[in-house]
Amino acid sequence: MSNIVEINNLTKKYANKTALDNVNLNIERGKVVGILGPNGSGKTTLIKILTGLLRQTSGEVLIDGNKVGVKTKSAVSYLPDRNFLYKWMRIEDACHMYKDFYTDFDEAKFNELLAFMNLNRSMKIDSLSKGMHEKLNLALVLSRNAKLYILDEPIAGVDPVARDQILDAIINNYNEDSSMIITTHLVRDMESMFDEVVFLKDGQIVLTGNAEALREEKAKQIEEIYKEIFGEG
Amino acid sequence: MVKLMKYEIKGTYKILLGILALVLILITGIYMYSRDSSNFLNFGAIFMTLSVLVLFGTSLATFLYIVSSFKNELYEDRGYLTFTLPLTGNQIVGAKLLVAMFWFFILGLAIFLYNLMMISIFSTSEFDFSELFKAVGQVVSVKEIIIGVIGGIFNLANFFILIYFSMALGRVTFRNKKIGGLWFVIFLVLSGLLAFIQVQIIELFPYYFDINTFKMGTMEELYNFEISIGNEVSISSETGIFKLNIASSIYNIIELIVLYLGTAYLIEKKIDL
Repeated sequence: MSNIVEINNLTKKYANKTALDNVNLNIERGKVVGILGPNGSGKTTLIKILTGLLRQTSGEVLIDGNKVGVKTKSAVSYLPDRNFLYKWMRIEDACHMYKDFYTDFDEAKFNELLAFMNLNRSMKIDSLSKGMHEKLNLALVLSRNAKLYILDEPIAGVDPVARDQILDAIINNYNEDSSMIITTHLVRDMESMFDEVVFLKDGQIVLTGNAEALREEKAKQIEEIYKEIFGEG
Repeated sequence: MVKLMKYEIKGTYKILLGILALVLILITGIYMYSRDSSNFLNFGAIFMTLSVLVLFGTSLATFLYIVSSFKNELYEDRGYLTFTLPLTGNQIVGAKLLVAMFWFFILGLAIFLYNLMMISIFSTSEFDFSELFKAVGQVVSVKEIIIGVIGGIFNLANFFILIYFSMALGRVTFRNKKIGGLWFVIFLVLSGLLAFIQVQIIELFPYYFDINTFKMGTMEELYNFEISIGNEVSISSETGIFKLNIASSIYNIIELIVLYLGTAYLIEKKIDL
């Protein structure tokens, strides 16, 4: 099976910090991959390089065989860890914008997701709560029939009810022909979704593998493995 | 690019039309005040001062709003949307620049036409616009007006793109948001440097193009219009008052292209959000 993402010797350095240190990672098509690590481990840096918001210092990143650029941006549906929609917009405008820029955007699916999330198209973006923002952003991202979904901390900072809605939306609307990368430090809530997991610590991959195989091998849940790796201090 | 322009205009029209509405109200106020003014000695001075203040204020407000719209892409969360759209750097910069130009053009045109309307309403005597245009036509030719407008648009585009380039360079150089304002220092230094180069080029290549006669030569060869002061001041229009320095014009075109491509390159390949 060919890889949707190929990362070779990827390094990202800031002035006085190495955020990613010689990372090598291949992600197969059709897999849901959890990138796990505490804050500051390099998860968001990795995601931002995949989406073209950051430039690597060295190394190679290929998505669907292409270097990160306009073509890969069409193929990737990205949920950032912040409210990225323009503040002047209503939900209606955001829907039109996605429809205009992404040919794979499915408006009927978006309407279904909005109803599921208890949102309506006339709502103003700048009047939404944190949880509503997260739900709207996810509805937009999941309404695309993209080759690769990248979700950066999709349930961080939202209340338990919104969290359940978000998790249900991801499970019910995930297209099995596509691939998905999810970063999180809230492992317990999300671990059942992952086919593969990647543990990232101080910019380096310290453990990676099939989630089920790791559970069997270590006789532990992914959350316990996470605590074992990152709890050492 | 056109799609992004659509969302740029949608996102800015409320504020900019608000500015325009405020300006038109102020202009109306100025005309009404001028008509009712009993002090004829101060009338012209007050009218001019208020008009200049209003126009300066409008230009500044519009300018600041448009400039901050580009800065927000580089420093605010909205950049996460704009820079992950499947668009090239050229398309993003092009959309931003064209919308900025569009708003300046629309506001300028609206204020100009509104002033003409105010003149016709508030003029004490019968105002004949054909006479006004005829009088203007005697001083400058249509060709000169067209070249003047194109030159103005070109200079405005050059000015905006230099600001965009300075901001993009500032964002690449200083990652810290708090010192993001240093783009202005880059802008001042670049403006000075580019103006200095332009002066050097004009001195090195002092050849001009006369728009009216389509002749080329040095200023001495072309500069032959006369101003005669008798009962009235007249400037001979046939001689032409618009002469373009050829090397400087080419330099300006190259500058615009290089800054445009440079800004597009920086935002597509270099900026880390």
